[in-house]
Amino acid sequence: MQERVVPIIKIYDCLVVPIQIELDDTTVEKIQKQILSEIENNDVKGVIIDVSMVDIIDSYISYTLSETATMARMMGCYTVLCGIQPQVALTLAQMGVNIKGIYYAMNLENALEILAGIEE
Amino acid sequence: MSMLISIKPEEYDFFVRINEEKDIVIARQMVKDIAKKLGFSLADITKISTVVSELARNIYRYVGEGFIYIRERKEGKDVYIELVAYDRGPGIEDIDLAITGGFTTTKGSLGLGLSGVRRLMDEFSIKSEVGKGTLVIVAKRRRSF
Repeated sequence: MQERVVPIIKIYDCLVVPIQIELDDTTVEKIQKQILSEIENNDVKGVIIDVSMVDIIDSYISYTLSETATMARMMGCYTVLCGIQPQVALTLAQMGVNIKGIYYAMNLENALEILAGIEE
Repeated sequence: MSMLISIKPEEYDFFVRINEEKDIVIARQMVKDIAKKLGFSLADITKISTVVSELARNIYRYVGEGFIYIRERKEGKDVYIELVAYDRGPGIEDIDLAITGGFTTTKGSLGLGLSGVRRLMDEFSIKSEVGKGTLVIVAKRRRSF
């Protein structure tokens, strides 16, 4: 049984992953594993990662999120990152971090609309 | 004993010993509180905490043990937060390469660590000697709005 560190909510053909815990390196790796195993177990086309409660996203966390999106894409899923705080966006942009292979949304509603708009 | 790579711990207000992964989170939470106390803006608090996260991770990943020192520094009317990452590890052979974005010696990072740190702070200096250790000193000035 996969260790669960965050709640993952299935809604229609999407998985919603709200991250409301402090992200250390081990936790972010566990979240990645948990997302991949939930994709395997559910028939979904999208994953929405809500980071509106995350105060700090550093280079390792952003790398792992980007890697997760690539892995999810290989399994047939699109990933949307939603709710990045303005000061986190500022920090990431100034550092030169570019999270690849991922869609961005202002909020959950927006993220669901983006996924609904993607034609397979 | 290299005089080049050493600091005077008693001149600093706070320090955190980094020797396990959880210490990275402890260091960044602590710096966040200190920057808040010193009156930095939320954007700068986020930048400073992210910088500590990168520096502490470098210590943990590449060396295993080291320290983060923190102090408030006043220069005339200006207030700075100064952060030091210090370790007695293997040192960095090619510093120019290490602070270039995209360089990394471990899998699982963007290699943006040091170059990102430099971009987020107002002052950045690094001293390293192979076999002796590494000292990174960064500072950010408090902006008034």
